[in-house]
Amino acid sequence: MVVGIKDAAKLIGISVISLCAVLVCTMFLNFYIDILEIEPLIASEAAMLFYDAQVSTAKIVCAVSGGCLLVTSVIMLLFYIRHYIDTHKKELGILKALGYSNLKIAGNFRVFGVSVLIGSAAGFSASFLLMPTFYDLQNKDRILPEISIRFHPSLFFCLVLLPTAAFACLSVCYAACRLKAPVLQLIKDSPQTPAKTKKQKNEPDCPFLAGLKKSTLRTKKTLVFFIAFASFCFSAMTQMSASMDTLSSRMMALMTLIIGLVLAFTTLFLAITAVVRGNTKTIAMMRVFGYSQKECCRALLGGYRPASYIGFALGTAYQYALLRIAVDLVFRDIGDIPAYEFDVPNMLASLAAFLFFYELMMYLGAERIKKISVKEIMLE
Amino acid sequence: MIRINQIKKSYGTHENRALILKGISAEIADGDFVVILGASGSGKSTLLNVISGLEQPDSGSVTYDGTDITAFNDRELTAFRRENVGFIFQQYYLLPNLTVEKNVRMGADLAGNSDYRSVLKAVGLENKLKKYPGELSGGEQQRVAVARALAKRPRVLFLDEPTGALDEATGRQVLDYISCLQEEYRFTVVMVTHNLNIAEMANTVIKMNSGMILEIYTNETRKNAREIGW
Repeated sequence: MVVGIKDAAKLIGISVISLCAVLVCTMFLNFYIDILEIEPLIASEAAMLFYDAQVSTAKIVCAVSGGCLLVTSVIMLLFYIRHYIDTHKKELGILKALGYSNLKIAGNFRVFGVSVLIGSAAGFSASFLLMPTFYDLQNKDRILPEISIRFHPSLFFCLVLLPTAAFACLSVCYAACRLKAPVLQLIKDSPQTPAKTKKQKNEPDCPFLAGLKKSTLRTKKTLVFFIAFASFCFSAMTQMSASMDTLSSRMMALMTLIIGLVLAFTTLFLAITAVVRGNTKTIAMMRVFGYSQKECCRALLGGYRPASYIGFALGTAYQYALLRIAVDLVFRDIGDIPAYEFDVPNMLASLAAFLFFYELMMYLGAERIKKISVKEIMLE
Repeated sequence: MIRINQIKKSYGTHENRALILKGISAEIADGDFVVILGASGSGKSTLLNVISGLEQPDSGSVTYDGTDITAFNDRELTAFRRENVGFIFQQYYLLPNLTVEKNVRMGADLAGNSDYRSVLKAVGLENKLKKYPGELSGGEQQRVAVARALAKRPRVLFLDEPTGALDEATGRQVLDYISCLQEEYRFTVVMVTHNLNIAEMANTVIKMNSGMILEIYTNETRKNAREIGW
């Protein structure tokens, strides 16, 4: 077997994202389906307004969180398959040379769907653990008739089985496309020449370390996205969590905070690991030549810092816009919703925590770089 | 002057332990062209790695003008390599996402050498500055590796089978460049090879077998890359 369960296990990032997405979507979709059933029982206009607001919230949360996390999972999956094929070119080339078809080899990549199955099943189960508390919170105002938890098999199919099958198919199709490269190109493991843009051709001469920093960013664009996404999650979820404590409930605030931190940590950790792993030979060669660990870290990891700040800024704007919409549009007719304003101290606290968190992750990356021996260059 | 004294080096543990270097001693004079000659598995590459500070020996010492580099920690060894040595490997190890110019600047920037283009000119690659390694032939890639190592202005240049992946004509050309540049800049060359003919280019030949030095001899007349057999 070309690709095994061990390789699928490395897609822990996709499992974590699936878990978060399915957890949020199951909870709100289940609530959405259950709340629809009480519509005929609503008697007063105030209750109807509250009902509409609850329905809209469920829809928005599912669409925004689910959509955003789905896109990220897809990008992460494609990135990993590409990375896997790049690092196993020789073996795949030999299989092709022996006569295995692209589709036959690519078929093995279906095990990547397992990572989605694990994540989504865990998310689905976790949502049912949290649901009683969530429903109690929704019922405590007694504005609406009692909403009770019901299990909907269609949700299990749509949020667990369907994504697993879809991701498995996507893995196979994408792998089949990537494997279209000629056999010799795969076997020889010849370095791919980066496509030169007009800007690059005319770009002024710069020192080696600056050039390496630029080239690392240019060749690993997906990682720029992941680092920005991690910062986005951290910023949006921590700030949203603080606001939700006042606007919604402590439970929702805590859930948002945990999801945000888990997503940010996993994504950033995987991105930094990918940067270090993808540059092992470069780092080893730099160490052979006498570049210090600090110089290696600055050239390879330092370039991502601006992306993380942009991610943080976008996250801040996103959470503000989302809560503004919720308060001004969805809950505008509900009387006892507290006023919502942009919380500067909260943003500054989140920024300080983010800076600490980001530098801690960079320190972990630097420690990984430190462990790379100059011998790596001789182990081919 | 490089003094190698009773170097022992082994790999593996317990019953799988293999003694690769069994007490090697030798001296290399400044500006010398030394070839370490031996069959595959004789320990020549391990010796080169130990002399150059890429690996630490189990025992023994390697001194550069009286300073023992085997007592250095990782940071000190990095600083030592930065200031003193250049490397050329059989597999080139160029950085594929950087242009020829940037690859050469990898060495040049460490020495503050802004005249790195003259080295590129010396190896005949002045017209390939903006090319990527993947766009070059094997010989051209090895010449970039030569330029990268020399742009660093090393005191000692270490070469591990530099022509191992090249055809005869290209191999001769690369050796010719190294030999000419050594005569011009007077750095010390320590080259590992299994090719007896290449050893004829050296002043001093250290012949190894099974982790021991069989003999050390001096060539009375050095041959150039075009004169040696292949």
